Amino acid sequence: MDQLSDLVSFIAKALVDDPDAVEVEAIEGDKTIILELTVGDGDLGKVIGKDGRTARAMRTLLSATCAKQSRRAVLEILE
Amino acid sequence: MAKSKKPPEMDGALIVDEDAEEGAAAKSGDDDVQEDGKAELAVEMVEEIVQRMGLDVRVEIREDADEVVLDLDGPDAGRAIGKKGQTLDALQFLINKIVNRFPEGRRHVLLDSGDYRERRDNGLASLARREAKRAVQQSRVITLEPMSPRDRRVVHLSLAKMPDVSTRSDGQGADRRVRIIPAGGRRRR
Repeated sequence: MDQLSDLVSFIAKALVDDPDAVEVEAIEGDKTIILELTVGDGDLGKVIGKDGRTARAMRTLLSATCAKQSRRAVLEILE
Repeated sequence: MAKSKKPPEMDGALIVDEDAEEGAAAKSGDDDVQEDGKAELAVEMVEEIVQRMGLDVRVEIREDADEVVLDLDGPDAGRAIGKKGQTLDALQFLINKIVNRFPEGRRHVLLDSGDYRERRDNGLASLARREAKRAVQQSRVITLEPMSPRDRRVVHLSLAKMPDVSTRSDGQGADRRVRIIPAGGRRRR
Protein backbone atom coordinates (compact mmCIF):
# COMPACT_ATOMS: atom_id res chain seq x y z
CA MET A 1 0.00 0.00 0.00
CA ASP A 2 1.43 3.37 -0.91
CA GLN A 3 1.91 6.14 1.62
CA LEU A 4 -1.19 8.16 0.75
CA SER A 5 -3.56 5.17 0.81
CA ASP A 6 -2.04 4.12 4.11
CA LEU A 7 -2.66 7.60 5.56
CA VAL A 8 -6.30 7.68 4.48
CA SER A 9 -6.87 4.11 5.57
CA PHE A 10 -5.35 4.70 9.01
CA ILE A 11 -7.43 7.81 9.70
CA ALA A 12 -10.65 6.28 8.36
CA LYS A 13 -10.20 3.15 10.49
CA ALA A 14 -9.71 5.30 13.58
CA LEU A 15 -12.93 7.21 12.87
CA VAL A 16 -15.43 4.45 12.04
CA ASP A 17 -17.28 1.81 14.03
CA ASP A 18 -16.34 -0.95 11.61
CA PRO A 19 -12.63 -0.63 10.72
CA ASP A 20 -12.61 -3.97 8.87
CA ALA A 21 -14.96 -2.54 6.26
CA VAL A 22 -12.59 0.31 5.39
CA GLU A 23 -11.06 0.02 1.95
CA VAL A 24 -8.91 2.42 -0.02
CA GLU A 25 -8.27 1.97 -3.68
CA ALA A 26 -5.61 4.10 -5.33
CA ILE A 27 -5.90 5.00 -8.99
CA GLU A 28 -2.60 6.42 -10.10
CA GLY A 29 -2.54 8.95 -12.87
CA ASP A 30 0.32 10.96 -14.28
CA LYS A 31 0.33 13.74 -11.72
CA THR A 32 -2.79 12.88 -9.81
CA ILE A 33 -3.58 9.99 -7.55
CA ILE A 34 -7.23 9.32 -6.87
CA LEU A 35 -7.99 7.64 -3.56
CA GLU A 36 -11.34 5.93 -3.40
CA LEU A 37 -12.45 5.39 0.17
CA THR A 38 -15.17 2.89 1.00
CA VAL A 39 -16.56 2.41 4.51
CA GLY A 40 -19.18 0.17 6.06
CA ASP A 41 -22.90 0.89 6.08
CA GLY A 42 -23.63 3.58 8.62
CA ASP A 43 -20.05 4.83 8.82
CA LEU A 44 -20.31 7.24 5.89
CA GLY A 45 -21.18 10.16 8.16
CA LYS A 46 -18.13 9.43 10.32
CA VAL A 47 -15.71 10.01 7.44
CA ILE A 48 -17.61 12.92 5.91
CA GLY A 49 -18.59 14.79 9.07
CA LYS A 50 -20.85 17.76 9.60
CA ASP A 51 -20.74 19.99 6.53
CA GLY A 52 -18.02 17.69 5.17
CA ARG A 53 -15.51 18.89 7.74
CA THR A 54 -13.96 15.50 8.42
CA ALA A 55 -13.47 14.84 4.71
CA ARG A 56 -12.01 18.33 4.29
CA ALA A 57 -9.56 17.75 7.16
CA MET A 58 -8.41 14.49 5.55
CA ARG A 59 -7.93 16.32 2.24
CA THR A 60 -5.86 19.00 3.97
CA LEU A 61 -3.55 16.35 5.42
CA LEU A 62 -3.28 14.71 2.00
CA SER A 63 -2.28 18.02 0.40
CA ALA A 64 0.32 18.59 3.11
CA THR A 65 1.69 15.12 2.47
CA CYS A 66 1.88 15.74 -1.27
CA ALA A 67 3.46 19.17 -0.87
CA LYS A 68 6.98 17.89 -1.39
CA GLN A 69 6.01 15.53 -4.19
CA SER A 70 5.08 16.59 -7.67
CA ARG A 71 1.67 15.00 -7.51
CA ARG A 72 -1.77 15.79 -6.22
CA ALA A 73 -4.10 13.54 -4.32
CA VAL A 74 -7.86 13.53 -4.73
CA LEU A 75 -9.96 11.87 -2.07
CA GLU A 76 -13.23 10.39 -3.26
CA ILE A 77 -15.59 8.95 -0.70
CA LEU A 78 -17.73 6.28 -2.35
CA GLU A 79 -21.30 5.73 -1.22
CA MET B 1 -23.25 20.05 18.51
CA ALA B 2 -26.65 21.67 18.22
CA LYS B 3 -26.65 25.20 17.01
CA SER B 4 -29.60 27.30 18.07
CA LYS B 5 -30.69 29.95 15.67
CA LYS B 6 -30.52 33.42 17.11
CA PRO B 7 -32.46 36.26 15.59
CA PRO B 8 -30.11 38.46 13.61
CA GLU B 9 -30.49 41.41 15.94
CA MET B 10 -27.68 43.72 16.80
CA ASP B 11 -28.20 44.14 20.48
CA GLY B 12 -24.68 45.30 21.13
CA ALA B 13 -23.90 42.29 23.29
CA LEU B 14 -20.16 42.03 23.54
CA ILE B 15 -19.90 38.36 22.78
CA VAL B 16 -22.52 36.65 20.67
CA ASP B 17 -20.81 33.49 19.60
CA GLU B 18 -21.96 30.22 21.06
CA ASP B 19 -19.19 28.09 19.57
CA ALA B 20 -16.56 30.42 20.91
CA GLU B 21 -18.15 30.52 24.33
CA GLU B 22 -18.03 26.77 24.47
CA GLY B 23 -14.30 27.05 24.04
CA ALA B 24 -14.25 29.45 26.96
CA ALA B 25 -16.17 27.06 29.17
CA ALA B 26 -13.77 24.26 28.33
CA LYS B 27 -10.88 26.37 29.53
CA SER B 28 -12.15 27.01 33.04
CA GLY B 29 -12.56 24.41 35.73
CA ASP B 30 -10.20 22.33 37.79
CA ASP B 31 -6.76 21.37 36.66
CA ASP B 32 -6.71 17.80 37.96
CA VAL B 33 -4.83 15.41 35.76
CA GLN B 34 -7.28 12.97 34.25
CA GLU B 35 -6.61 9.28 34.02
CA ASP B 36 -8.74 8.26 31.10
CA GLY B 37 -5.74 7.71 28.82
CA LYS B 38 -7.00 10.24 26.29
CA ALA B 39 -3.79 12.27 26.28
CA GLU B 40 -1.74 9.13 25.61
CA LEU B 41 -4.17 8.00 22.92
CA ALA B 42 -3.98 11.43 21.31
CA VAL B 43 -0.17 11.33 21.30
CA GLU B 44 -0.17 7.88 19.73
CA MET B 45 -2.65 8.91 17.04
CA VAL B 46 -0.75 12.10 16.15
CA GLU B 47 2.48 10.12 15.94
CA GLU B 48 0.92 7.49 13.68
CA ILE B 49 -0.56 10.12 11.38
CA VAL B 50 2.45 12.44 11.05
CA GLN B 51 4.67 9.43 10.42
CA ARG B 52 2.37 8.41 7.55
CA MET B 53 2.57 11.98 6.26
CA GLY B 54 6.33 11.51 6.06
CA LEU B 55 6.99 14.16 8.70
CA ASP B 56 9.77 14.03 11.25
CA VAL B 57 7.89 15.36 14.27
CA ARG B 58 8.03 14.52 17.96
CA VAL B 59 4.89 14.69 20.09
CA GLU B 60 4.77 15.41 23.81
CA ILE B 61 2.03 16.03 26.35
CA ARG B 62 2.19 19.60 27.60
CA GLU B 63 -1.05 19.61 29.58
CA ASP B 64 -3.33 16.79 30.66
CA ALA B 65 -6.07 18.61 32.52
CA ASP B 66 -9.54 19.69 31.41
CA GLU B 67 -7.99 20.19 28.04
CA VAL B 68 -5.24 18.03 26.59
CA VAL B 69 -2.47 20.10 25.02
CA LEU B 70 0.10 18.37 22.83
CA ASP B 71 3.33 19.91 21.66
CA LEU B 72 4.74 19.07 18.23
CA ASP B 73 8.45 19.58 17.75
CA GLY B 74 11.15 18.53 15.34
CA PRO B 75 12.55 19.31 11.88
CA ASP B 76 9.15 19.08 10.17
CA ALA B 77 7.12 20.98 12.79
CA GLY B 78 6.67 23.86 10.35
CA ARG B 79 5.19 21.53 7.74
CA ALA B 80 2.92 20.03 10.39
CA ILE B 81 1.62 23.55 11.10
CA GLY B 82 1.11 24.46 7.45
CA LYS B 83 -0.03 27.71 5.89
CA LYS B 84 -2.00 29.73 8.46
CA GLY B 85 -1.99 26.66 10.67
CA GLN B 86 -4.30 24.79 8.28
CA THR B 87 -2.53 21.46 8.60
CA LEU B 88 -2.32 21.70 12.39
CA ASP B 89 -6.02 22.60 12.59
CA ALA B 90 -7.01 19.71 10.32
CA LEU B 91 -4.91 17.30 12.36
CA GLN B 92 -6.41 18.68 15.57
CA PHE B 93 -9.93 18.30 14.21
CA LEU B 94 -9.36 14.66 13.27
CA ILE B 95 -7.61 13.83 16.54
CA ASN B 96 -10.58 15.24 18.46
CA LYS B 97 -12.96 13.10 16.38
CA ILE B 98 -10.87 10.03 17.09
CA VAL B 99 -10.22 10.59 20.79
CA ASN B 100 -13.79 11.71 21.54
CA ARG B 101 -15.58 9.11 19.44
CA PHE B 102 -17.86 8.31 22.34
CA PRO B 103 -19.82 11.07 24.06
CA GLU B 104 -18.85 10.24 27.65
CA GLY B 105 -15.83 12.02 29.08
CA ARG B 106 -15.17 14.24 26.10
CA ARG B 107 -12.01 16.28 26.43
CA HIS B 108 -10.76 18.78 23.91
CA VAL B 109 -7.33 18.16 22.45
CA LEU B 110 -5.32 21.20 21.40
CA LEU B 111 -2.29 20.81 19.17
CA ASP B 112 0.48 23.36 19.46
CA SER B 113 4.05 23.67 18.32
CA GLY B 114 6.31 25.67 20.58
CA ASP B 115 4.71 29.09 21.04
CA TYR B 116 2.88 28.92 17.71
CA ARG B 117 -0.64 29.34 19.12
CA GLU B 118 0.44 32.14 21.42
CA ARG B 119 2.16 34.04 18.62
CA ARG B 120 -0.81 33.54 16.35
CA ASP B 121 -3.24 34.65 19.06
CA ASN B 122 -1.19 37.80 19.61
CA GLY B 123 -1.16 38.45 15.87
CA LEU B 124 -4.93 37.98 15.70
CA ALA B 125 -5.50 40.26 18.67
CA SER B 126 -3.44 43.07 17.15
CA LEU B 127 -5.19 42.63 13.81
CA ALA B 128 -8.51 42.85 15.68
CA ARG B 129 -7.47 46.06 17.44
CA ARG B 130 -6.28 47.58 14.17
CA GLU B 131 -9.54 46.72 12.43
CA ALA B 132 -11.52 48.00 15.43
CA LYS B 133 -9.79 51.38 15.15
CA ARG B 134 -10.61 51.44 11.48
CA ALA B 135 -14.25 50.56 12.21
CA VAL B 136 -14.49 53.47 14.65
CA GLN B 137 -12.68 55.94 12.40
CA GLN B 138 -14.80 55.08 9.39
CA SER B 139 -17.88 54.44 11.56
CA ARG B 140 -18.79 51.32 9.68
CA VAL B 141 -19.06 47.63 10.42
CA ILE B 142 -15.97 45.66 9.48
CA THR B 143 -16.32 41.97 8.74
CA LEU B 144 -13.23 39.81 9.20
CA GLU B 145 -12.39 36.73 7.17
CA PRO B 146 -13.92 33.37 8.21
CA MET B 147 -12.24 31.92 11.29
CA SER B 148 -12.33 28.88 13.52
CA PRO B 149 -14.28 29.09 16.81
CA ARG B 150 -11.02 29.42 18.69
CA ASP B 151 -9.77 32.31 16.55
CA ARG B 152 -13.11 34.08 16.77
CA ARG B 153 -12.95 33.79 20.53
CA VAL B 154 -9.52 35.43 20.54
CA VAL B 155 -10.93 38.32 18.50
CA HIS B 156 -14.01 38.71 20.73
CA LEU B 157 -11.90 38.69 23.89
CA SER B 158 -9.30 41.10 22.54
CA LEU B 159 -12.03 43.65 21.81
CA ALA B 160 -14.27 42.95 24.81
CA LYS B 161 -12.77 45.82 26.80
CA MET B 162 -12.79 48.34 23.98
CA PRO B 163 -15.66 50.69 24.82
CA ASP B 164 -16.30 52.00 21.32
CA VAL B 165 -16.86 48.69 19.52
CA SER B 166 -18.82 45.50 19.98
CA THR B 167 -18.36 42.21 18.17
CA ARG B 168 -20.57 39.41 17.02
CA SER B 169 -20.31 36.46 14.67
CA ASP B 170 -22.41 35.80 11.62
CA GLY B 171 -22.57 33.02 9.09
CA GLN B 172 -22.68 29.27 9.35
CA GLY B 173 -20.02 26.63 9.84
CA ALA B 174 -16.70 27.25 8.10
CA ASP B 175 -18.00 30.59 6.81
CA ARG B 176 -18.62 32.12 10.23
CA ARG B 177 -17.01 35.55 10.53
CA VAL B 178 -16.58 38.14 13.25
CA ARG B 179 -18.14 41.54 12.63
CA ILE B 180 -16.70 44.53 14.42
CA ILE B 181 -19.41 47.07 15.07
CA PRO B 182 -18.62 50.65 16.11
CA ALA B 183 -20.72 51.92 19.01
CA GLY B 184 -23.28 54.56 17.99
CA GLY B 185 -23.87 55.65 14.41
CA ARG B 186 -24.19 52.03 13.33
CA ARG B 187 -25.12 51.43 9.79
CA ARG B 188 -27.96 49.18 8.93
CA ARG B 189 -26.97 45.72 7.79
